[in-house]
Amino acid sequence: MKMSWERFQIALFEKAPEAVLTHLLIVVITVALAILISVPLGVLLTRPRYRKFGVVALNILNILNAIPGMAVIALALPILGLGIKPAVVALLFQSLLPIVRNTIAGLLEVSADVKEAAAGMGMNQRQILLEVEMPLAMPIILSGIRTSTVYVVSVGTLAALIGAGGLGNMIIGGLALFMPEYLIVGAGLGAIMSIFFDRALSYLEYKITPPGVRAN
Amino acid sequence: MDINLVDFFQRNTRTIMEYTENHFTLVLSAVVISLLIWVPIGLLLTKSDKWAARIMALANTIFCIPSLSLFAIMVTIPALGLGRKSALLALVLYAMMPLIRNVYDGVKNVDRNVIEAAKGMGMSSGRIMREIQLPLGLPVIFAGFRITVVMTTGIAAIATYIGERNLGRFIQEGLVRSNTSMIIMGALIISVIAIALDTILGGIEKLVIPKGLRARR
Amino acid sequence: MIELKNVTKQYPGQPHPAVDSLTLTVPEGEICVLVGPSGCGKSTTLRMINRMIEPSAGSITINGQSVMNNDPDHLRMGIGYVIQQIGLLPHRTIAENIAIVPRLYKWPKEKIVRRVDELLVMMGLDPEKTRSKYPSQLSGGQMQRVGVARAMAVDPPIMLMDEPFGAVDPIARTHLQDEFLRLQKEIRKTIVFVTHDINEAIKMGDKIAIFGEGKLVQFGTPEEVLTNPANEFVENFIGYDRIVKKLFLYQVQEAYRPAVCRLRPEEIGNALSKMLAEKAEVAFVLNEADKPCGYLTREELEQEETARDADGLQKLAARRSKAFVQTTTPLPDALSVMLEYDAEYVGVLKNGLLEGVMSFKDIRRHVYRREGE
Ligand SMILES: Nc1ncnc2c1ncn2[C@@H]1O[C@H](COP(=O)(O)OP(=O)(O)OP(=O)(O)O)[C@@H](O)[C@H]1O
Ligand SMILES: [Mg+2]
Repeated sequence: MKMSWERFQIALFEKAPEAVLTHLLIVVITVALAILISVPLGVLLTRPRYRKFGVVALNILNILNAIPGMAVIALALPILGLGIKPAVVALLFQSLLPIVRNTIAGLLEVSADVKEAAAGMGMNQRQILLEVEMPLAMPIILSGIRTSTVYVVSVGTLAALIGAGGLGNMIIGGLALFMPEYLIVGAGLGAIMSIFFDRALSYLEYKITPPGVRAN
Repeated sequence: MDINLVDFFQRNTRTIMEYTENHFTLVLSAVVISLLIWVPIGLLLTKSDKWAARIMALANTIFCIPSLSLFAIMVTIPALGLGRKSALLALVLYAMMPLIRNVYDGVKNVDRNVIEAAKGMGMSSGRIMREIQLPLGLPVIFAGFRITVVMTTGIAAIATYIGERNLGRFIQEGLVRSNTSMIIMGALIISVIAIALDTILGGIEKLVIPKGLRARR
Repeated sequence: MIELKNVTKQYPGQPHPAVDSLTLTVPEGEICVLVGPSGCGKSTTLRMINRMIEPSAGSITINGQSVMNNDPDHLRMGIGYVIQQIGLLPHRTIAENIAIVPRLYKWPKEKIVRRVDELLVMMGLDPEKTRSKYPSQLSGGQMQRVGVARAMAVDPPIMLMDEPFGAVDPIARTHLQDEFLRLQKEIRKTIVFVTHDINEAIKMGDKIAIFGEGKLVQFGTPEEVLTNPANEFVENFIGYDRIVKKLFLYQVQEAYRPAVCRLRPEEIGNALSKMLAEKAEVAFVLNEADKPCGYLTREELEQEETARDADGLQKLAARRSKAFVQTTTPLPDALSVMLEYDAEYVGVLKNGLLEGVMSFKDIRRHVYRREGE
């Protein structure tokens, strides 16, 4: 394969911006929906009344997670058709587990003593959740969100297979047409985007961890 | 759309067998190579916190790279090109993070007091590793192995885009030809295999927990 | 014999040495207790003896051999080591845990099996029930016993014990201490024993080494330390009840008086005259079998307005039928017998027969005579 500087420039400056934007759009929408569904679900599954469903829910999500991303994306096509929407729905399925799991883990990790003390000071269940449990569980929840985001960026490259566009388009196109310039730009930007989200969210995680908890 | 899975299965039995075989030889070699490389490195890293942090950061970064990207990047390396070498290398690089992390955590998280007592009785560090740290860390190490196997099985399908003729190919060709039966068949076969592997290995994971840790009063 | 000479340990990045120029000798067959507040370097000292940590300066010798001349693993195999957190291998049975060092020595199987059972019995555990259990199936006290048994497996002449009874409740701890002291009388090992509990130190130690911030502040027998605290630090560490603690060091046999006035059943009527004749303050009433069954004091007989008959005196004496102690009873226990029966005196028994008498005054005199030394 011989590289041409010209084609590289076209790939980087003409094709890439749209691909990056589409990719970002898919990631942001999917992760936002995932958070909106998973965090309340995780909270619900730690409330005494619904706790018994926790194991079942986690088992189902665990099985869903074992399914290869490529298969999930492929199955979206016959059921939902082509485009961004089916891609988002497909990606959503597997982005739930890390957030639900970490929300549950984070909330369960808040020690009973702390909650007891909060209740003893006259906080109601809602206040305890919002002012004590959530802030303490937040770093762990955020770590789940990070895992999900990296997953969505990664499997999101496969969304191109069902016509959703994004960076995957450049990679698959580059492979199909033997144009290494497209391939390098698409793959490189995908890697950079994913590493960027990973670092940014780790930083946020570090920042919102109360210094007292941070020590270990 | 005309979906007839049974018909598809009967007409393509030989291809299915061929793709499955190719899929598994790739997964198997990737997992074996990964175990041979990453398990010893993970064990070695338990001796140096500084190197552990560095290598783990690297593994983490590699793990972030989208699989399609990593396969594509491998292909552009002249010595590798399209085909199995690129696929293998990418899969082995992915396995770095779950294997190293779990081996390291498994061995490191053994109760410090148990190690102190063993060392104080004159057990050599090799013996402590063999007789205490490895058996006690085994469940965590095995969990890493399970993640690696299931993940590798899934990602290997994507290698169809760099010339592997495996179970990913049904999806690839089905998409190109708009053959729904083919897409569903491909997706179902890989999904069933992945879920089965996960379940079986999950069962074994419970069995490798040392007896004394399972026993309760 | 273990000798530490000018031993210093400086951990990297710490402003002060954890152990500072320590010189200490632990004689053969004795228990030397290292005691002091938290963080004063007790564990550090202990762990330098079996080279879990290397000293920064100074020399440590065991029977004249520097520990540095020995391969560390080999050195440790020959020294029993018990840590506070016990550290039993959770994936090995109790028998396998105890067999660790014998296996390192490649003992034959039957010998190991025999030794394990022997140790379990020695530690008061039922081999049949305990042998094949896992640590998680035992109570804290039982685990602690297994930890001690494991350290004694190959009968090492030297034992290092770092708060070995720290993880159990006070009642179990007292029990373990008593059993261990009984055992030590037979096995006579050279033991370095760490604790931060001064009471445990007084009870267990042939010698006590009191540490403060990495330095040895006082070294001596429990009696020496309690009698003459070297400085204010030691005095504070021992506590305000120094004298009461000291009582624990003594037994009745050191303080009682052997001379005693005895009343046979037929003599009870002339109790007072017999006491006056013998210049005795107290007279013990014996039964037909020569067993003491109470006592009368001269004071109470003299104060009686109307003289009692023999029956009345018998009843009076019988009120103190339980005010007796053995020659081996610790002084604090004797004191509590006195308080319980509101008695000025206790009878001292040896092999069931009356041996002597001890008064509150005798106790006081004994303790203060020692105090003046
Ligand atoms: N590995 C280490 N690195 C740095 N400092 C240490 C280390 N181990 C102990 N220290 C410090 O050395 C000092 C003595 O510690 P050591 O464990 O010997 O105390 P100790 O007398 O056994 O206390 P405790 O009764 O709490 O067990 C302490 O100030 C401790 O913080
Ligand atoms: Mg200590």
